[in-house]
Amino acid sequence: MMVEMTDVETIGRRKYTVILGLALLFASLPLIMVYFVLIASSFANTMLTGASLGGIKLTIENWILFFQGKLTTTAGKIYETTDILKYILNTFIVAIGVAGICTLTSTLAGYAFSRIKFIGRSFLMQFLILLHAFPGVALIIAVYSIYVYTKLSMPQSFWTAYAFIYVIIARAALEVPMSIWIMKGFFDKIPWEIEWSAIVDGASRIRVWREIMLPLVKPGIAAVAIFSFLAGWEDLIYVLVFLPPTEKTLATYIESLLAEGSLEFIHLPVVAAAGTFYLLPTILFFIFARRLMLQTATGGIKA
Amino acid sequence: MVRIKLDKVTKQFGKVVAVNNVSLEIPDGKLAVLLGPSGSGKTTLLYLIAGIYKPTSGRIFFDDNDVTHLSPSQRNVGLVFQNYALYPHMTVYDNIAFPLRLKKVPKNEIDKRVQEIAEMLRIRELLDRYPSQLSGGQQQRVALARALVKNPSVLLLDEPLSNLDALLRIYIRTELKRLQKDLGITTVYVTHDQSEAMAIADSITVINNGVIQQVGTPSEIYDNPRNIFVATFIGNPPSNIIRGVVERQNNGRVCIKVANGVFYPDEILSGKIVKAGIREVIVAFRPEHVIVAKEPLKDHLAIEGEIYAIEPLGRETIITITIGSDIVKSVSMVKEALTVGEKIFININPKRIKLFDPETELNIEYLE
Repeated sequence: MMVEMTDVETIGRRKYTVILGLALLFASLPLIMVYFVLIASSFANTMLTGASLGGIKLTIENWILFFQGKLTTTAGKIYETTDILKYILNTFIVAIGVAGICTLTSTLAGYAFSRIKFIGRSFLMQFLILLHAFPGVALIIAVYSIYVYTKLSMPQSFWTAYAFIYVIIARAALEVPMSIWIMKGFFDKIPWEIEWSAIVDGASRIRVWREIMLPLVKPGIAAVAIFSFLAGWEDLIYVLVFLPPTEKTLATYIESLLAEGSLEFIHLPVVAAAGTFYLLPTILFFIFARRLMLQTATGGIKA
Repeated sequence: MVRIKLDKVTKQFGKVVAVNNVSLEIPDGKLAVLLGPSGSGKTTLLYLIAGIYKPTSGRIFFDDNDVTHLSPSQRNVGLVFQNYALYPHMTVYDNIAFPLRLKKVPKNEIDKRVQEIAEMLRIRELLDRYPSQLSGGQQQRVALARALVKNPSVLLLDEPLSNLDALLRIYIRTELKRLQKDLGITTVYVTHDQSEAMAIADSITVINNGVIQQVGTPSEIYDNPRNIFVATFIGNPPSNIIRGVVERQNNGRVCIKVANGVFYPDEILSGKIVKAGIREVIVAFRPEHVIVAKEPLKDHLAIEGEIYAIEPLGRETIITITIGSDIVKSVSMVKEALTVGEKIFININPKRIKLFDPETELNIEYLE
């Protein structure tokens, strides 16, 4: 009997791809359905709760209400307006603040860990892992006591601003160890010769860092910026603890909507819109960052 | 252009001595090759000249200026790395212009010089490309252009041909030699490839374990190796090596027994052996000086052996012969038909034989 010859590898791959794909689909189906319900509900006149879709109308009213800040009702269709734009802005302030601090410190520290020999370097590297492993919640009492202590020495008019600065720094501190590790990895990949070459050409160390090294670790910087932005964007506990009750972020606001007792005052599809909006950065970053992170500038170096 | 002088330079990395008490002078405008196996310290020595490494002790001079404590840029050296180390995010033009921009050369002057050097190295049409879009040979030219554009007083090349394919290597080798002569720039060229060194060098410095083994012109190094290391490192295949026993004769001279053969060194050599009281020697001779014949030749060191393998290379043939447990290689144009396993004689003209003291590994000719 004649058997058609095929590349061994190809047969295996195709089979596995189908099986793997199906397995992943089934495994993630519950998660996909939850997100689908969330996103679909934000465009519906009522919350999708069952399999039947009868009587459901497509609408963007939820989104309009969300941006107007009309999420909670006092009676019937009369809404209590919240300053949702301020909350969105707050979320951005925290997220961008965390991303900024993380990116700056980790590109500097990552370079140092990768390139400069100093006493305690390997100990510190290991210590960073330990720091990263500590859950942020475990530290919150100590962090809070420092907060209260330092806050009292500030003028009262500065307290709100200080709360923001504090929450940004405290949250960034949790992200910095991992970010340094990521950046160190990217710097490690650049051959010494490139740096030496620039030094021989007459560049100072700082200039080498700025003009040669930074452009080459762009994908790393993007990765760190995205991860730390999302960490800031998603943070709940630190924002809840440190920001004054009047200053909410999307996370704490959505949480407060669902808090005990307030559930009966809200129109759930609008909250679904809020939830979907809250997901947006993650979705956007996934789309754009995927290619960015895979793309590393190589060439001009032969190993 | 400058003369480079190293004065008792030592470089240690922790406990490892990479370069050990090296003194060396490279004359102005010459091409000096640092030749050694990997890990011999030749690249470290190059980086010491470049200023990337600072010597643990000793001093480095460019002409009469002590540059030991100057930074690489203050030394004004052009350096081409083994992996070229082009800046991947810059175009070829920006790569070449980079050293000039750092020197704050005016823009139109930069443009003029980049165009000039690109013209000279025939890479003008590549100026807009990125390094990743270039072939190995092109990247190498760009690296060379970047090193030369700042008019360095010294050009340093670290294994510049090792990443190119064999044909391109021979072609670029010729180009490099010509370019160096045209520019008259003092050049230090690091390689582990002895044939490359022989072909390109004005002078070769053989290094092993961080210590200079011999400095000389290619023919000096080839014809008169100072020690066993140099004799066996240079040449392809390298020198053959067999132990020989010294026997005194009634006339005061010596004869040397090698396996089943015997030969008589000349008077001067014989005198040196007697004076140093050497009883055993290492006999070395080049494969191309081995005459394979069915009969022993007169006035030659003739040793009987058995053919182990025959490798025809077209222009010449490498014949491997076993003599007891020793292996001898011969490179020649074979006229007779030989077969593996055949008993033959290898014949070597005594004038071509080098003798080494097995203890010091030194060439006996070099003894006082």
